[in-house]
Amino acid sequence: MNAFSYARPRALADALRLLRNGAAALAGGTDLVGLMKDGLARPTALVDLTGIDGLRGWSRAKGRGLRIGALTPLVELETDETLAKTMPILGEALRDAATVQLRTMGTVGGNLLQRNRCWYFRDEGTPCWLKGGTRCFAVDGENRYHAIIGAHECVMVSPSDLVPALIAYDAEISLVSSRGQRQMKLAELFVAPRGRERREHALRPGELITEVRVPESALARRGTYLKAMDRKVFSFALVSVAASAKIERGAARDVRLILGGIAPVPWRVIAAEKGLEGSALDEAACVDAAGRVLSGATPLRDNAYKVTLARELVRRALRSLVA
Amino acid sequence: MLRGPGATDISLTVNGEAVTVQVAPRRTLLDTLRETLGLTGTKKVCDEGTCGACTVLIDGRPVYACMTLAVTCEGKGVETIEGLAKDGELHPVQRAFIDEDAFQCGFCTPGQIMSIVALLRGTAAPTEDDVRRAVSGNLCRCGAYPNIVAAGVSAGRRKR
Amino acid sequence: MPRVVKSREEFEGEIFESLVLVEGKDLPLPAAGAEFTEIGHGRRRVDGTQRVTGRARYTQDIYLPGMLHVRVLRSPYPRARVRRIDTKKAEALPGVRGVLHRFNAPKAAFRGEETIFREEVRFVGEEVAAVAADDEQIAVEALGLIEVDYELLPHVVDLEEAIGDVAPRLESDGNVSEGATHKRGDVKRALKEADHVVEATYRTSTQLHNSLETHGAVAAWDGEQLTVYESTQHVFGVRQGLRLALRLPLAKIRVICDYMGGGFGSKGGVGKYSIIASLFAMRLGRPIRCVLTREEENVAAGNRSATLQHMRLAGKDGRITAIEHTSWANVGQGKWVANPTGPTNTLYDVSNLSSKSYKVVTNAGSLSAFRAPGYVEGTFALESAIDELAATMGVDPITLRRKHAGSPKDPMVGKRYSDKHLLECYRIGAAEIGWQRRRSGGTRGSAPHRRRGIGMATQIWGGGGGPPAYATVHVNSDGTAVLTTGTQDIGTGTRTVLAQICADELGFELEDVHVRLGDTDNPYGPISAGSLTVASVGPAVRIAARDAREQLLGAAAGVLETPKSELRLASGVVVTKGARTPLSEILSKVDNNTVIGKGGRHPNDPDLSLRTFGAHFVELEVDVRTGEITVEHVVAVHDIGRILNPTTARSQVEGGVLQALGFALSEERFVDRATGRVMNANLENYKVPTVKDVPAKITVKFVDRPDRRANNLGVKGLGEPPIIPTAAAIANAVANATGARVRHAPLTRARVLEALAIAGARS
Repeated sequence: MNAFSYARPRALADALRLLRNGAAALAGGTDLVGLMKDGLARPTALVDLTGIDGLRGWSRAKGRGLRIGALTPLVELETDETLAKTMPILGEALRDAATVQLRTMGTVGGNLLQRNRCWYFRDEGTPCWLKGGTRCFAVDGENRYHAIIGAHECVMVSPSDLVPALIAYDAEISLVSSRGQRQMKLAELFVAPRGRERREHALRPGELITEVRVPESALARRGTYLKAMDRKVFSFALVSVAASAKIERGAARDVRLILGGIAPVPWRVIAAEKGLEGSALDEAACVDAAGRVLSGATPLRDNAYKVTLARELVRRALRSLVA
Repeated sequence: MLRGPGATDISLTVNGEAVTVQVAPRRTLLDTLRETLGLTGTKKVCDEGTCGACTVLIDGRPVYACMTLAVTCEGKGVETIEGLAKDGELHPVQRAFIDEDAFQCGFCTPGQIMSIVALLRGTAAPTEDDVRRAVSGNLCRCGAYPNIVAAGVSAGRRKR
Repeated sequence: MPRVVKSREEFEGEIFESLVLVEGKDLPLPAAGAEFTEIGHGRRRVDGTQRVTGRARYTQDIYLPGMLHVRVLRSPYPRARVRRIDTKKAEALPGVRGVLHRFNAPKAAFRGEETIFREEVRFVGEEVAAVAADDEQIAVEALGLIEVDYELLPHVVDLEEAIGDVAPRLESDGNVSEGATHKRGDVKRALKEADHVVEATYRTSTQLHNSLETHGAVAAWDGEQLTVYESTQHVFGVRQGLRLALRLPLAKIRVICDYMGGGFGSKGGVGKYSIIASLFAMRLGRPIRCVLTREEENVAAGNRSATLQHMRLAGKDGRITAIEHTSWANVGQGKWVANPTGPTNTLYDVSNLSSKSYKVVTNAGSLSAFRAPGYVEGTFALESAIDELAATMGVDPITLRRKHAGSPKDPMVGKRYSDKHLLECYRIGAAEIGWQRRRSGGTRGSAPHRRRGIGMATQIWGGGGGPPAYATVHVNSDGTAVLTTGTQDIGTGTRTVLAQICADELGFELEDVHVRLGDTDNPYGPISAGSLTVASVGPAVRIAARDAREQLLGAAAGVLETPKSELRLASGVVVTKGARTPLSEILSKVDNNTVIGKGGRHPNDPDLSLRTFGAHFVELEVDVRTGEITVEHVVAVHDIGRILNPTTARSQVEGGVLQALGFALSEERFVDRATGRVMNANLENYKVPTVKDVPAKITVKFVDRPDRRANNLGVKGLGEPPIIPTAAAIANAVANATGARVRHAPLTRARVLEALAIAGARS
């Protein structure tokens, strides 16, 4: 790890002022400290955000949706009983995310911004394209964990468990920097690296996520999160699926279907969502939808199994919405 | 308010005792415990948050000391395996580990025990599933898991 | 007077003959029906308190005053010539105390080579240079400042590529060399005359040990004596390795391993890190710590070879008439090959048999022994193939095995087994799993798309132990005893069972026996490997304790003025006809005494074959849509002679089953073929089982009958047996459940889905 200086400001404005000249924001550290140990991040300073009031915890004002502070530890979302009733998919997604220790340390904002787990990217000794090298080593190398769809120069996959669940509920985020604030849909935060964009997030330098919001209308939906791993726990997803829909008189409305672990970004399947609008989500409809997702997939040498896996998880997730 | 990059004084509580240590911001809590404070009961196995051997409690909650920078622990309370036994009397979880033969080589044991100690503070009488959830971030290469789960459950019983 | 005798021992599937020193006569086996106070009873580990309090000091925990930290520069290339090394910038970094590399290090022999820093480095991770510095961080920075001029050479890392014609030749005689072979009968003819022939290719991936404590050493030199703390399964092996490397007399080298955090075979002798630490310690006069990181552990500290295995089996009239087994193993830069055909050669009494084991070198890290090396890989192929043959013949897999598993003779060497209860293992296991519920084609699972199946597999292993192994028992004047031996406790409970043996033989309470081990200043103890510790050291401890007891009774006879023949020692009390006198009281009357008993292991009967046997049964479910396997019940039945401590024995079997579960389902090293880099040299993507991967139920059963011809305790080893048959039992249960045969371990989702697709297309 390189040497750096450290500050723990109490005010957001102080944090934003400090976040320049190669400084990085530190929350739970579960990803950043690992990147620094591997020499993949070399910040000149760490600005510890955990001393800032007001960015931690969640609230639900009547009719105004759910707001979750970016510094809320994941464990608080996972274990809160009220939240479990308000938005049960959060608990489902987080129970499978990492471990008690990592959920205790990790925060919502950090989870959204965690970098990908591609083993070529994470290997300090491999000069891969995403790190400024000339080529992707995974595309004709060891690629069982890599993308089957939506990739360009880099075949890494979106690793978060929380993100597909939040996008399935139309989550939005607030961002702030010394130049001001902005809002965006959470889905827009993620970019598939390509061309000159050798990055995974649309975050600007010096910018922070302050909160995640879920609109009131989305909270009426049923949702589920399914995840396939190489062992039963403590593993990133081979494939994950977040699905949600409002069930009105037996018919699905506002269907959302987002897959993790298969593409460089959380993979939303809008065509399938539209096709299921008004469906009873009976077995035939779900099998049909599952069969059509990922029709454009281009698996690599070792990851065609992800297509089979993804389709089955999609079918199960959709069926569970009416179970 | 910027500290470092050289060594800086950090005051914290370790096993109930107030200490001040001089550490550079890049130093982890794990290295600080082991090398600066001589508390070698907390083990270094992966040093990247993937095994749980370095599990300690910060303000009562289980974390990986290898992924925690010591400088972030200013003012906090850290508990390690060395702080569990009081006046020569083993903690109930420690006794349960011996009684249930919940270790072989013993290298993951301090981390497993700290995870279960944290669990018992919130869940006085855990079920097998509660214990499994609590230690699912603690790898054991000898495969003592069945006995670790039994120890967690029986420690809960004897605490009551 | 000590005398030299010939001895014949098995070690990890191979037979070795040697000369050993023995003294006196061996003790007879305890009389049938003898009552033990300690032996055979479940006991808590005697070192439990140290381990649960964090006070147990492992090598990693040794911090000596003035100690320097070493980090090693490792080759980033799979094959290259080191032409030039420039260390000026590194040496100029404040806090750097020394740099070693091939141009400045003294010659230090290591595993048959003259130097630890080779001119041609042959895998990513091979040692190129080492830096000693005030702290690790400085050492790491210094590594980045060392400039190395590499000449890149063509490489190959993959087993099947290395066998092929286009791969670069890494050795003058090619990449493939022949290991063990065995032939009996006429395989060709049996195949021709068979009613059924099964031919299949099996693969096993490279498994990494991932002992939680990495390999490492702390070395200190005081000008006279080199003391090395090392995480090892064999302190005497490390000392011998250091003697050869440093050319010091043995008396000047002391190796200590008090507690160690797992080895599983990989810590069998000296490492380059031990030599590097020692060279720096002697050069700089300061204690040196060289402990590997997790990544280094996984690239440079050994592995279980990946294998490719061809099996051909013939069946006729309900019997197996021939087995042909050919194996190729990727040993990386290793100098030996574990033998996957070992179980094939000995497990079943099949008249026509032919086996060959090839060693294949590649530009990858060397193999090292990994808990039943060869046997785990070979049993996966053999026991899968037996089930495939049984299915083809339409016979029950156990029925087929029974016809060949009952022989009292070792079919390979023709000698009688000292003891064998394999058929009883089958009987117990079949009853425990409910084998009668097994249906051809499996049964419905607990949910749609889930199939349920039952499978089993057999294990054969050594574990008979043998000489040399020595122990002494010192009895203090307060009636406490110190048992001293040079073996190690690698987590198996050695300290505890040796204390039990000693306490029983002495007539002491368990708490009055203290065990000191893991030190070359102690009497010689063998490597803690090959499941041989208890069967080797235990009998020596018993003799030493008996010797001490006889002396104590002699002393008591003098003090009590009673004939020795009328005295007996029990629970630390000398019992005569009329009175009970604590031994401590008797000894307190003799000023400042030490009673020393000593014992050595006697040789095995050369006309017998000493083996352990067992069988594992598995019930599981397969989700046929996602390829997920959920193992629900494992029954492990073993025939390993007398059980000394049912508690620790059970733990060891559970541990073996779980390590096997990793081999069977999730553990697999991935090496990038283009760069030779190990992509998952970590615990994130090298997936060892977690607590949630544990089957809902593990049933452990022992035949628990003393092997009367094995040694004076009737014990055999248990370290390896429980890891051997699990993977094949799982593959057989998957085949039973789904009709899909997965011939590559681990049985990942990808492989299960692929096999299901093939089976589906066929049906």
